[in-house]
Amino acid sequence: MADVKAAAKAKGPKLPVILIANDLLDGDVVFFGAQGWTRDPRAAKVAFDAETAAFMEAEGRAGFVANIVVDPYLVPVEIDAAGFPVASHYREAMRQKGPSIHPDMGKQADYPLGA
Amino acid sequence: MYRYDEFDERFVRERVAQFRHQVERRLDGSLSDDEFKPLRLKNGLYLQLHAYMLRVAIPYGTLNARQLRQLAHIATRFDKGYAHFTTRQNLQYNWPKLKDVPEILDLLADVEMHCIQTSGNCIRNVTSDQFAGVAKDEVEDPRPTGELIRQWSSLHPEFAWLPRKFKIAVTGAEHDRAAIKVHDIGLRVLRHAETGEVGYEVIVGGGLGRTPMIGKVIRDFLPKGELLAYLEAVMRVYNAEGRRDNKYKARVKILVHETGPEEFIRRVEAEYAQLNGPTINAPEDEVERIAAYFAPPPYEALPEDSAILDAARRADPALDRFVEQNGFAHKQPGYVALTVSLKPIGGVPGDMSDAQMLAFADIAERWSFDELRVTHSQNLVLPHVRQDDVPAVFAALQAAGLATANAGLVTDIIACPGLDYCALATARSIPIAQGIARTFADEARQREIGPLPIKISGCINACGHHHVGAIGILGLEKAGVENYQITVGGDATENAALGERLGPGIDAEDVPGAIEAIVDVYLKERQSGEVFIETVRRAGLEPFKAGFQAFIASDEGARTLAAEPAQ
Amino acid sequence: MTLITRTGEKPEDYRRVDAVEDLRLDERAVLVPLAFASAALAARPAASVALSVPNDTPVEALQPYLAAAPLIAVEFPSFSDGRGLSLAKRLRRAGFAGTLRASGPLIADQFAEALACGFDEVELPETMANRQPVQQWMEAKDIVTSHYQSGYGEDRSILQKRLAARKG
Repeated sequence: MADVKAAAKAKGPKLPVILIANDLLDGDVVFFGAQGWTRDPRAAKVAFDAETAAFMEAEGRAGFVANIVVDPYLVPVEIDAAGFPVASHYREAMRQKGPSIHPDMGKQADYPLGA
Repeated sequence: MYRYDEFDERFVRERVAQFRHQVERRLDGSLSDDEFKPLRLKNGLYLQLHAYMLRVAIPYGTLNARQLRQLAHIATRFDKGYAHFTTRQNLQYNWPKLKDVPEILDLLADVEMHCIQTSGNCIRNVTSDQFAGVAKDEVEDPRPTGELIRQWSSLHPEFAWLPRKFKIAVTGAEHDRAAIKVHDIGLRVLRHAETGEVGYEVIVGGGLGRTPMIGKVIRDFLPKGELLAYLEAVMRVYNAEGRRDNKYKARVKILVHETGPEEFIRRVEAEYAQLNGPTINAPEDEVERIAAYFAPPPYEALPEDSAILDAARRADPALDRFVEQNGFAHKQPGYVALTVSLKPIGGVPGDMSDAQMLAFADIAERWSFDELRVTHSQNLVLPHVRQDDVPAVFAALQAAGLATANAGLVTDIIACPGLDYCALATARSIPIAQGIARTFADEARQREIGPLPIKISGCINACGHHHVGAIGILGLEKAGVENYQITVGGDATENAALGERLGPGIDAEDVPGAIEAIVDVYLKERQSGEVFIETVRRAGLEPFKAGFQAFIASDEGARTLAAEPAQ
Repeated sequence: MTLITRTGEKPEDYRRVDAVEDLRLDERAVLVPLAFASAALAARPAASVALSVPNDTPVEALQPYLAAAPLIAVEFPSFSDGRGLSLAKRLRRAGFAGTLRASGPLIADQFAEALACGFDEVELPETMANRQPVQQWMEAKDIVTSHYQSGYGEDRSILQKRLAARKG
């Protein structure tokens, strides 16, 4: 039983995933993208397999050690109709968008859909 | 109000330099992230869901116009043009950048403000009664005690690494507006029954959060001059013996609970007996020096009632409602204290724009002896307004969008920032408050319902004080969806009580309807003159449970019908 | 490890002994866990036996050693565990006049606090000393120059200074 749990844990979060963190100096939510860290949620690189997820996690640790980001972690996503990753959990979805009470603030304002 | 002397000024400047240095050492690798985190928290800096958040201390909730203007300026320059007043009389910026924080601290120091110990496992910013110095039922103004504690607790060498955070509240009045029974230490200024000497009743071990508890009286009477030595004894016992193995059991309330109040008292008194009081306590001169800053402002000698205000109220029903609802009786004849609601219907509880801050600073400066207060229900107060001036003040508040006449009513809702901002939250709070406020927007209906404190927290940590809301709402996660538990019967006053759950958790969209169902039970059950909490106390929880359950049943019925395919 | 006092780095005078059989090996003074205190005192003069104590040790348990022990090292399991600060305060109050050492992964930002509570020195693991060299400890200690609390540190508190200033 314990082995089963350990194996499940070793597999990490349910794929596909993206890598979210905060910029150390600004605090902004950042995503690991094809060209490194980006503030644009739509530019987040999506890992569909465990190998890519492990690579991204290692990039997260490297970004932390290099004092670029803090609190990097993988977030399970679903791919929406437009092909963009949307976090499966409402908390992480909030981080991708910004405060629900302020559509004029956060990612939803900085990177509006259709822009 | 208190003004910094050269010592306070230098202390705060040096604290800014220290923090600037700490940021530099975090960036150059001297401090690890794990080491920097408690250091930044002790200076009020969190990393939240979208950004850093900076919490500014407003000791015992007192501000002047110059300070509020500076807070507005910081909001404009370093944030998104607004700030948020919290349930602990502090102010939060939601979007500052780490690299700007030292400069923000400089600007705060320019107006005798700081962020010292607004977070972290240390003694937090001290809170008090928003009507301190105003209320008729006051033995003594609690703010000099608050200021003494602010100074004594600031960068305390021994109590900077406590098992957990530690919150102290002080009231000087009979009616408790500072929620002293739900703080780690609550102090009530009182007069000794026989000697008439002024001292404190000391309450320890109250708190909300995961394990809500009402504090226990550990000293019926502590002579005023012995305060700091006694606090040192309590803090030392807690620092040495509070649990550090489990952060959910680390607050002093758990120590008091697990050792038992009698044994806890014995340990505190044993420690206190070993202290050399005169070497620890504030010199009497110093206590008097601080108290002098809180002397009453130069009031005019006026009759009790104002003919000007009476006439204006007769002519303007909106003004009349405002004074009726938001006015608070002042001990000085001819004056009134006005609660200024930060709860407009559909607004974010406690939020204020930079423009509103500037307008309000002008109002406080012109009409309230340059003084304003922050309340733990996330509103502001103009503490000393001439009744003759109230019509002009009301007009100015209206122009600034600050004249909502709902103080204490069902739409004056306390809500923590919740999942819209907070990294710890499990559910949103603000949209729930907005939904309820819109449901009860009608002013006549609000007045018919009367005083009804609703308090909403977005997680078990209870920053929204839901346990002590007459109606409390706690947002949790259930199966990947936000889910809300409703409690009834909580009370933060001298009759402190914890609310009890009415039934299972419900979805966000059902909360306003559930609150309406609960309010309907009250309206049906109440006897003449009873406010909501009194009806709950008299009638018990059962009718409210029944009303809540009936709502759920009918709501589910309605949903099932709605889900039926059209024939 | 690195030893830091208020004036800078200092050499270690004590040999840490973690096994009873090592007590007699040389003449250098020893630093022993509290559990070995009586064995060490049976083997050596009291003035050469320093004690290393956990931060939750009751002062009463140390009472027999306070008069003669040249040094007591209070163990800090982590920098965020402040119990050692209260133990230091209580040891000083109980009359301990020897050297008081804070031993563990403290950070430079805590140096002023440790000194104010009665510690004389900090024994820092090497990994920490590499990141936070002695120079940082000297700077951090002096960055805030005064304190409000009476009864901490050697200089007067702000409250006492104000009183003195008023009395001229």
